[in-house]
Amino acid sequence: MIASSNPSNLPLFLVLTISMVIGLLMVIVFRYTSDQKAIGRAKDRLKAHLLAVRLFQDQLPVVMRAYGKILRGTGSYLRLAFTPFLIAILPITFLIVQLDRYFGWVPLQPAQTFLVEARIEDPTALNDASLQLPPELSSSAPAVHIPTDREVVWRLVADRAGQFDIQIAAAGQTVSKQVMVAPGLARVSPLRLKGNFWERIFASGEPALADNSPVQSIEISYPPRVIGFAGMDWNWIVLFFLVSLIAGFIFKSALGIQV
Amino acid sequence: MTLPSCQRSRFGRSLILLLVVGLVLLVPLRSEAYAGPGAGFAVLSSFWTIFVAFLYSFYALVTWPLRQLLRIFRRRKAYGKAQVKRVVIVGFDGMDPELASRFMSEGKLPNLSKLRDSGTFRPLRTTFPAISPVAWSTFQTGVNPGKHNIYDFLARDLKNYLPFLSSAQISEPKRHLRIGKYSLPLGKSGVKGLRKGTPFWHWLGKAGVFCSVIRVPVTFPPEKFPGVLLSGMCVPDLKGSQGTFCFCTTRASSDKFREGGVRIPMERNGAGLHSYIPGPENPLGTGVDLRAEFRLRPDVGRGRARIEIDSETFTVKVGEYSEWIPVKFKAGMGFTARGICRFYLKEISPEVEVYVTPVNIDPAHPDLPISHPVTYSIYLAKLFGPYATLGLAEDTWALNEEVLDDQAFLAQCYGNHQDREHMFFDALEKTPQGLCACVFDTTDRVQHMFWRYLDKDHPAVRDVPQDQKPRVIQDLYDRMDTLIGRVMQQINTETLLLVISDHGFKSFNRCMNLNAWLHQNGYLVLKDGKSESGDWFEDVDWSRTRAYTMGLNGLYINVRGREREGIVEAGAEAEALKEELRGKLDGLVDPASGKVGISGMFDCDAVYAGPYVDNAPDLIVGYGEGFRASWDSVMGRVTTEIFEDNLKAWSGDHCVDPRLVPGVLFSNRKIAIEKPAIVDVAPTVMKLFGLELPSYFDGKPWAVAAAGGK
Repeated sequence: MIASSNPSNLPLFLVLTISMVIGLLMVIVFRYTSDQKAIGRAKDRLKAHLLAVRLFQDQLPVVMRAYGKILRGTGSYLRLAFTPFLIAILPITFLIVQLDRYFGWVPLQPAQTFLVEARIEDPTALNDASLQLPPELSSSAPAVHIPTDREVVWRLVADRAGQFDIQIAAAGQTVSKQVMVAPGLARVSPLRLKGNFWERIFASGEPALADNSPVQSIEISYPPRVIGFAGMDWNWIVLFFLVSLIAGFIFKSALGIQV
Repeated sequence: MTLPSCQRSRFGRSLILLLVVGLVLLVPLRSEAYAGPGAGFAVLSSFWTIFVAFLYSFYALVTWPLRQLLRIFRRRKAYGKAQVKRVVIVGFDGMDPELASRFMSEGKLPNLSKLRDSGTFRPLRTTFPAISPVAWSTFQTGVNPGKHNIYDFLARDLKNYLPFLSSAQISEPKRHLRIGKYSLPLGKSGVKGLRKGTPFWHWLGKAGVFCSVIRVPVTFPPEKFPGVLLSGMCVPDLKGSQGTFCFCTTRASSDKFREGGVRIPMERNGAGLHSYIPGPENPLGTGVDLRAEFRLRPDVGRGRARIEIDSETFTVKVGEYSEWIPVKFKAGMGFTARGICRFYLKEISPEVEVYVTPVNIDPAHPDLPISHPVTYSIYLAKLFGPYATLGLAEDTWALNEEVLDDQAFLAQCYGNHQDREHMFFDALEKTPQGLCACVFDTTDRVQHMFWRYLDKDHPAVRDVPQDQKPRVIQDLYDRMDTLIGRVMQQINTETLLLVISDHGFKSFNRCMNLNAWLHQNGYLVLKDGKSESGDWFEDVDWSRTRAYTMGLNGLYINVRGREREGIVEAGAEAEALKEELRGKLDGLVDPASGKVGISGMFDCDAVYAGPYVDNAPDLIVGYGEGFRASWDSVMGRVTTEIFEDNLKAWSGDHCVDPRLVPGVLFSNRKIAIEKPAIVDVAPTVMKLFGLELPSYFDGKPWAVAAAGGK
């Protein structure tokens, strides 16, 4: 797998900014979609049972009862946090999907070779599959046919930056796929699919292939983006998770919100 | 089949919930693994909680055998000769044996009657004087006041004749750093307990007997011992006083409250009003009291008001209390004092009046230690919510000053009482073996303030027809009986239950200003031209004064070399003066009523023995039934009248001849003793757990029957 860091600090800056904003927004959403008093009470009771374990440690039955109450209290607390969790999960998920188009992958660079994999529905049409390229793209190797996987793989290279469409013809039909060649941050769709609504929502940024299309999917091998931060390489979602969590923690304390 | 509409909507909600959960679980891509900080916190903190709990429990389990061995070793001392598995002591401050007998004979108090019939009921001899801090100190130490050094709420400073709290002393940090106008304290305020002696639960704890002690008076500051303890009477408020309420009002008045409260003007500002709660003195040495400002927006139509203080906003109705509200007093440079208080909306139109309770130390963030370990008060606050921590949490002054009415005062009392019950029953559950002791103050406060309805001749309610007097004290005893019933349900025959009180109660009809008597009889002399003095002997000529009184029952000789301006020689002269005063005061008759105002004068050299006798008053005044020291006399003020009617709500008292106000002793077991005393409780409990008694104990252990009556 190719792993390259974008030399620009823009993705890092954007991820940190978005994470902090989302952290703030989410604690505010949590504030208005949760029963703050009940959450406060549940957390207080949990702390009380924890203290009970310490205070009455010489009395094993008391400690065991307190532990049981901690487990029950944790269940109550999670149940109270579940409603805001449900309300937040859909918009956040779709937001993350959209952000993933930008931060999940690095666009291709001019002169950088990349692979195009097309999966064909009918194995007999595999040998007839052909690729039509715009002038800015060229093939750097003959196509490789993998009958067991019903796949054809091409190795291509771009002359210059831009958004291009490549055409794949098979069984008398032609379908297209976007290819993004850009030096910085750009919206990237690594996959085009037919059907599979939910997979398409989460993995593809292009319209579905027609139901009667002989091509099942087309995938471009964009390198995954790795963001350098604090001396480490980060997947953007992990960084987003951590930074928004920290930001949320700071904002919740500042705003007096029970989470 | 059709479903009712509510079931359909519930079914619909369940379906949507299932659908969303299904989507989340069935489409497991990386992007939805995280759904915002809320869920992140919930999941992380839940796991963290379970992890910490697991660590604690693991530690408890792993070290359990070792601790069990230690306990077995200790138990040889503690439980080896123990006659009981557990002792539960329920203290009802001021429960009166005569009144309890009367109610029981009327067929009331079924649970206490059951204890009387199957176990024990006796009057319990109290201390000299019969005052709660004195009696409860004797209860916990098993010694007379000469050995524990508590003789009253107040003690006098020999250097200046001014009072100080007898039980604890709060001192400023010793060192300060001066920065401009600020004086930055280096270090924390110190709290020093002045009660001497060792509480018996320290002996029990050292021997391996676990003890839970809740709100026993004079346990502030809390002392370290192997058990848990929440301090009671004598815990100060955030101002360091024994309770200073605040009355915010739009009514103009220059009157000051006699004691216990401050009147704060409330100013209109558009549709709202603003005022403040006075707090402690600024710790940065600016000499100014801190304030917590609040705004109030009345809603006259709905009979309520919205109050904003700090980040808290809440609504309170007329005639109701708010919850406990956290308040912060910001001193600058990061110094903040935190407390809690409750607001009571007294009136909303045409004037606005709000009573605010004294600002209590916040039990969840105590600025001063109020429990041992410190986490115990936090544990209780987390488990049950904020609660009153002030020693005298029931605001008798506010009722006395008519800031609160009867109902508002009772609501406050029973609110605090309910919190105390929660704590007590939790302690009972957490102490399956050992000692569980809790003192309930409500009995004392309610009897102080409502005895007037029980006494048909009380001057404070002469105009109220007898059939219209509320049955407050009867209800109080009923409630305490119900509490005992709940305790009895939770204990078995291996538990000894002791229900005790530190003293009883009598009516307080007539006030006596003993300083006025001393003045009129030439023992106390005022400066030339003065016929009265201000508080704390403001115009007293000490160079000609031979005796004075302050506090509730103490009478002092102005001894040369002891008091700053003493004139009576110690020894024969002082002894002769004491005898002279005893002779004149013992049996003193109130000319207006013809009743005996003082039924006993007790020489402290005769009633006390121990290393701290020198700090005691010289004589203890035993007021007769119906009499008590006037508030002026307590505060060192000389008036022209010696005897006066008591027209205040504070209408019952116990600061009389101690022989008139014994406490109660109930038990679920037979106790073979005719005249038990409160000083006997400590040795009795220690003996029941098989411990040897320290030789300095003044009390004697009772013969308690084994379970089953043998």
